[in-house]
Amino acid sequence: MFLAMKEILHSKMRFSMIVIIFVMMAWLVFILSGLGNGLSSLAASAFKNMKADYVVFEQGAQSSMSKSLLSEQLVGEAEKLPNVLAAAPMGSTMATALKGDSTNNDDKVDIAILGILPGSFLEPAVIQGDPLSNENLTAVIVNDSMKDEGFQLGDTFKLDGSTVALTIIGFVEDQTYNHLPAVFIPMPEWREIAFAAPGSDKGIEGPVNAIMLQGSDIDPDTISSKLTNTDTVTRAKAVQGMPGYKEESGTILMMLAFLFVISAFVLGVFFFVMTMQKTNQFGIMKAIGAKNGFLSRAIVSQVFVLSLVSIVIGVLLAYGTAAIMPKGMPFMLDTKLVIVYSIVLLMIAVLSSLVSVRKITKIDPLQALGRVE
Amino acid sequence: MTTMGLQLTNVSKYYGEGSTRVCALENVSITVEPGEFVAVVGPSGSGKSSFLSIAGALLKASEGEVTLNGLPLSKLSDKELSSIRLQEIGFIMQSSNLVPYLQVLDQLLVVKKMAGKISAEDKAYAVKLLEELGLGAKLKSFPEELSGGEKQRVAIARALMNHPNVILADEPTASLDTKRAHEVVSLIANQVKTRRIAAVMVTHDERMLEYCDKVYHMEDGKLQLTKQVHLAH
Repeated sequence: MFLAMKEILHSKMRFSMIVIIFVMMAWLVFILSGLGNGLSSLAASAFKNMKADYVVFEQGAQSSMSKSLLSEQLVGEAEKLPNVLAAAPMGSTMATALKGDSTNNDDKVDIAILGILPGSFLEPAVIQGDPLSNENLTAVIVNDSMKDEGFQLGDTFKLDGSTVALTIIGFVEDQTYNHLPAVFIPMPEWREIAFAAPGSDKGIEGPVNAIMLQGSDIDPDTISSKLTNTDTVTRAKAVQGMPGYKEESGTILMMLAFLFVISAFVLGVFFFVMTMQKTNQFGIMKAIGAKNGFLSRAIVSQVFVLSLVSIVIGVLLAYGTAAIMPKGMPFMLDTKLVIVYSIVLLMIAVLSSLVSVRKITKIDPLQALGRVE
Repeated sequence: MTTMGLQLTNVSKYYGEGSTRVCALENVSITVEPGEFVAVVGPSGSGKSSFLSIAGALLKASEGEVTLNGLPLSKLSDKELSSIRLQEIGFIMQSSNLVPYLQVLDQLLVVKKMAGKISAEDKAYAVKLLEELGLGAKLKSFPEELSGGEKQRVAIARALMNHPNVILADEPTASLDTKRAHEVVSLIANQVKTRRIAAVMVTHDERMLEYCDKVYHMEDGKLQLTKQVHLAH
């Protein structure tokens, strides 16, 4: 630490340049993780925030709501199965909300309509207004991001390509589905909308897309075998099955992984070059009796201090970025992820400095005498 | 009993193998007692550096034994040798070789740091040493702000920091003008006498030999005593 700090204080210029590069990389890591997190929550927050543990799909639906069609009768059967505490049906369909009779581009808003039973555990708590009811089937609760599109409590909107008109009676938060604001609607009305075309329900009585289960230690295979033609998965797997979700988060993850690899190389090379420049110095110190451990500690602690400072600045910049990003941007920093990535970056930096440490142990103190015979 | 100080007994050093074998030192024996200042002169390539490296526990002898204060060095591990260098030997090198980013006082303290912690006493001792060597006003200077003579004096102070029993100087006057060279070598001679250290100086500089008690001549790996001054006590 002694040597490390003295050197940093003496060559501020050189070390601040390294810090700047490191800060940029840390910043980029955090921004990417924020974007990834924001996108994935936009894609599936309605799903992720549901108080359900398992999802029953039609066999062959590949854990995708849009490929699955089941009969509501299975809900009753599912409830009786072992470890299942509760079961509730759910349906989803994409639609476009038309504000009034307007034909303006701005007044058409894509939405995700999610059909649920009013009062079931799938219904999120409203932050404003009233919950769904069985009496008024065209009354819906919607994600509060629709406020930004100009929708207010009590507003009625039509669906494009349909005669249905829905009234907003409540707002919920963090409920998006397929990157679209979620509109929760009572099941019977959802069926009217989703199966408006005759025969599109394949003749199934009380069609739903999936059945959500609550309960711990449920064995998906048991459920699948007890209910004919079904496939049960965990909620996490159902999220993965959403169209585009895997691809989207995979892309971000791949970029992050590459960024980590690149950081390791860039930092490792930097520290290595710095160490190489100091070969002679280290040789002198070895000649006057410094042990490898002493010099290695100097290097590693120096890298540690530089990394820590850079990462802290990177985190601050990331939160600063989050503060000035436009509201519609899917950017969400997850404190837990920020901490994890900080630790990963710190470890990468320290590990990459070990290459330099190896170099130090090989320096011959004889070089310090200035002439090796 | 002359086990104190530095002793080389029949030391030889070879480089290479077989037909390319080069003999750098041949049967070198020398005893340097505490308080004795010995000079080794000789043309380049004569084996002076090998001699100093072996005496300084930086290089192992091919044959023979180096004894430091009665302790034979040939059986020690690299780690133990680096402890010996730290605790027993003070090096003064050709071009001072100070650490560029340390202030003068820290140059001395880093030696203590290598051995563990820096105590208040160490700090006081370092300041005292530097004042003795006329560097009292330069404690906070970096090497780049010092003259050649000052740098060399810092190197002397650094060599003395750990109360060594042996001081090895490798061409300490190589980059100095005559006046500074005399200053530096007389300082070394002075410290050697007052602290009763065994000192060896390898040099080209014939002017500096007046400070030494014994002068050895080295040629083709062989060491020969050429001048001996009777100690004045």
